[in-house]
Amino acid sequence: MRKTPLAKTPLYALMILMALVSLIPFYMLLFTALTPSSISLADSRLLLRHFEWGNLAAAWRESKLGGAMTNSSILMGGSVLLSVLVSAGAGYVFARVNTWYNRILFNVLLFSMMIPGVINTVPLYSLMKAIHGINTHWAMILLLATGFIPQSVFLYANFIRGLSREIEESAVIDGCTLFEAFWRISFPLLLPITSTLIILNAIAAWNNYAQSVFFLQSQELQTVPLAISRFVQTYGADYTKMASAALIGMLPAVIIYFVFQRFFVKGISAGAVKG
Amino acid sequence: MLRLARRINERLHRYMAVPALALFAVFFVTPLVKGIRISLTDWNGLAPDYHYVGLSNFIEFFHDDRAIHALKVTLTFGLISPVLLCAAGLLYALLLDNRLRGRGAVRTFVYLPAIISPLIMGYVWLLLLNSENGALLEVLKIFGRESVYRDWLGTPDEALWVIIAVNLWQFVGYAMIIFLAGLQGISADVLEAAKVDGAGYWTSVRRIVAPLLMPAIRINVITNLIGSLGVFDVITALTDGGPGYSTESMSIYIMRSSFNGHTGYATAVAVLMFLVILIPVSVALRLMKQADQDG
Repeated sequence: MRKTPLAKTPLYALMILMALVSLIPFYMLLFTALTPSSISLADSRLLLRHFEWGNLAAAWRESKLGGAMTNSSILMGGSVLLSVLVSAGAGYVFARVNTWYNRILFNVLLFSMMIPGVINTVPLYSLMKAIHGINTHWAMILLLATGFIPQSVFLYANFIRGLSREIEESAVIDGCTLFEAFWRISFPLLLPITSTLIILNAIAAWNNYAQSVFFLQSQELQTVPLAISRFVQTYGADYTKMASAALIGMLPAVIIYFVFQRFFVKGISAGAVKG
Repeated sequence: MLRLARRINERLHRYMAVPALALFAVFFVTPLVKGIRISLTDWNGLAPDYHYVGLSNFIEFFHDDRAIHALKVTLTFGLISPVLLCAAGLLYALLLDNRLRGRGAVRTFVYLPAIISPLIMGYVWLLLLNSENGALLEVLKIFGRESVYRDWLGTPDEALWVIIAVNLWQFVGYAMIIFLAGLQGISADVLEAAKVDGAGYWTSVRRIVAPLLMPAIRINVITNLIGSLGVFDVITALTDGGPGYSTESMSIYIMRSSFNGHTGYATAVAVLMFLVILIPVSVALRLMKQADQDG
């Protein structure tokens, strides 16, 4: 017993090093965001001890971050809700209705995960223009939700295959249709995978840049990443304000992560054990 | 009427895939098909008329030095990053799979960067590394070592390596979590038995852990290959393709070409980019299948 702690010392040292490597950039972000710009890192001996809360307020005002947070929340809520509802239904069909065309469609969805968004951007732009979807919330919600569908359907189908059919069938005997049985009885049982997908898709929606930079060009509709990027791109680099805005803008994602960590890890690794 | 409604309701469950597939058809398949058509034209993105030019857009790609450079950047970043991510992620996971106090917290910290937008994380690194008042330069000054500092992001041959490193820093937690999940599926009894039979740590890692970890390796290799070959956000934040176009990946090159009115050409490059992703992914899948059968 005495030997163990000694043998583990280098492991602990490595572990602390890993944590520091991951956290130091966040510390520097915090430092830059909160320290008055007149005080340098050397002046404060690297310690965060002068607080200029006005930095946060100034960044909030200048980047219209309040509006951006509202926009991002609308897009996040809409796309998450839509993707979960349509993917659960589709997952059920692909898990339970085993026809040749369903097998093909399922594989097409899987295959599409290999195609990166950028390939579709140019033709999507003309499509969005044709349906008057540029600079609208609804079109961006549909677009984001579509992006989440393949992975969500895949995870739902895998999960539903593991559920017994008997519960659904006994509900049918009691006079339900299979459609009702799915939504009333099976869907609540899917809660673990639903929570996972809500979190995965919510974070992806919150962070989306590659699509929103194209389809949300008006300033009233800018999302959080777009608002933050303005401090680096338009105004020349204003690092204090960028850091302040980034700090506020990443907070919702960080909170979602800490609160729902359990589901998050489960979701990320869902495919890893089963393959 | 009522009977008809009842009959529809009875079959309704079969059509629950329709909304998802409709969205997928409108916002994914249609643009994809249209994109392949546009790639054969000289369309500038605005004019109502355009001409079919056959495969000349594709041929033009191979005669454009900047395009070939973008291909090289994509392949360099896209093939090196997954290897580094898998190697580092596996080492992280093997370390944190030990019974160490505080490992849960370290896991959380290591994964934290992966949930934040690569764009914002890129900006944070810009804040650390920039040559005006970057935090790294300031810290080096405190210790009187500013001669160590170089403007890596401003140096054409070095900027891409910084981008690779930042991307590794951000997403090592993702690879780690998948490996950890895979490691949890390996029973301690098997490892104990191997130890009794005289297997050392690395022998059991190679002979027992690696084969059982195959699903985790597969998902890591494939998702990281797809993500890295399509890289966009982190380059946009750190160099925006610069200096010059030294760190311009195919995705950034596509965006720029399409903004410059070369829509037909940009779309052709996008179609090529799909092959640039498809080929390595297929090769990787085949290699891993072989390893599975041999092991």
